Amino acid sequence: MAELEALERDLRALGAGLAWPATPYLRAAIRPRIVVRRPWFESRWAMAAAVAVVALAALLAYSPSRDAIANWLNLHLRLQQVPVLPSPSPLPPGPLGERLGLGDRSTVPGARAAVTWKLLLPSSLGEPDEIYVQRPPSGPPEGEVTLVYGIRPGIPTSGETGVAVLITEARGRVNSEFFGKITGPGTTIEEVSVSGHPGYWIAGTPHVFFFIDSGGNVRNETLRLATNTLLIDEGGVIVRIEGDLTKEQAFQVAQSL
Amino acid sequence: MEGRPTDDGELFARAQRGDTAAYEEIVQRYQQVAFRTAYVITGSAADAEDAAQDGFVKAYRALASFRPGAEPRPWLLRIVANEARNRVRSAGRRHHLELRLADVSRPGGAAPSPEAAAVAADDRRRLLRLVNALSDEDRLVIASRYFLELSGEETAAALGIPEGTVKSRLSRALARLRTSVEGVAGG
Repeated sequence: MAELEALERDLRALGAGLAWPATPYLRAAIRPRIVVRRPWFESRWAMAAAVAVVALAALLAYSPSRDAIANWLNLHLRLQQVPVLPSPSPLPPGPLGERLGLGDRSTVPGARAAVTWKLLLPSSLGEPDEIYVQRPPSGPPEGEVTLVYGIRPGIPTSGETGVAVLITEARGRVNSEFFGKITGPGTTIEEVSVSGHPGYWIAGTPHVFFFIDSGGNVRNETLRLATNTLLIDEGGVIVRIEGDLTKEQAFQVAQSL
Repeated sequence: MEGRPTDDGELFARAQRGDTAAYEEIVQRYQQVAFRTAYVITGSAADAEDAAQDGFVKAYRALASFRPGAEPRPWLLRIVANEARNRVRSAGRRHHLELRLADVSRPGGAAPSPEAAAVAADDRRRLLRLVNALSDEDRLVIASRYFLELSGEETAAALGIPEGTVKSRLSRALARLRTSVEGVAGG
C-alpha cells in the first residue's frame, strides 16, 4: 500500500516536471467561428413583431376572441395576430432543401446522430422522401430536423411548398424558448392535446413562422409560407406538422409519431 | 475594468444568452487543460490543437445543453476529448505519445516545485521511460490522473468511460507500472 502511495507521489512529481507543447491561443482561433448574431432589432422580423404588438392591443380591446388571445400571452408559445402579413421572400430556384432553407440533406440515421433528442418519425406517412438537418449557426442551438413528404394519398400537394407534408423538429424549452408566429386575421388558433402532449392547431390563411431561440434571438426560420400547422410540445421537443392537411389528417400523423 | 474574476457559472449563463465575449473568457480559462487532454489522447500537438479548437466550437453550439450549476470542466473536456478520439479513429492510428521532461537546468526557468525536487532526476527519467512504455490505455489514465491532475469525473469525461471504470482501470495501470518499476529496480 505504501509502495503504491509512493508511486502515486512520484507520478505527481513527474507530472509537475513535464515539458508540454505550448498551448495554442485558442481564444483567438475560435472567435471567428462562433456566431455573432445580429441583435434582434436589426432583424427584418422586428418590424413585423412591432406591427403585431400594436395589432394585438387593438384585438385585445375590440375582438370577441380577446380571452382566447389573452390566454396565448400566458403560454410559452406566443402567437400574435396582425391585420397585414409581411410578405415572405419568393422561393429561390434549386433543390427543395435549398429553396425552403431547410439545411443540409441527410438520412434517417444521419439526422438521428446529428441531434440530441430521439427523432420522431410518423409511421402513418411512411418513410420521408427527404431529410434535412439545419445545424447552428443557421439552425437553433441544438439543431433542427425537417422531414419532407412528397405526394401522399389523400393529401393535396401544397402550392406554397410544393410538397404534401413538412415535419420540423427542434429542441425547445418551455421557460426559455418559445415559438412565435405571426398570423393573419383569417387564421384560427386552437389549443389541442395530442396523445397527452399540449399542442396548437393553426388553420386558415398562410402564415409565417419565426421563433426565438434560447439565446433570445429572433430566428428567421424559413423563407416559405406555412400552411395549416399542428404544433406539438413533445416534452422538450417542438414538433411542427405543416401541410394542406385537415385537422383529422394532422392528428393522425401526430398520433403516429 | 479590473476586479474580482467572474465566476464560471456567470460566464456560462452569459454565454448561453449569446454573449460571445463571455465564451471567449471560458475558452481562455480552459484552453490549457483542454489542449493537454487532447494531446495525451492524440499524441500530436497539431491534432490536439485542431481537436481543442473544434471541441470548443462544438461546445459553444451545445451551450443550451449545459445545466446551470454543473461543473464546466468535465462538460468541456468530454466534448474536446471526444473530438480528439474521433481524430485518432479517423486517422486509423494514434501518434505514439512521447512525454518529455522539462529542462530544469534552463537558466531563468521556473524553480522546480518541492515535490518535483524530491524525485531525483535519474529516477524521474526512469519512471517516465516506463510510463511511455505502457499501453496507450494505461498511459492515458495515468497521464489524466497524475500529469493533468484531472478529477475522477474529469478523467471519465476525458477517456469517454463511466466514472466507476476509471478507478479499476487506474488501479490496473498502477499495478502494471509498479511491476515494471520493480523489474527495473530488481534487474
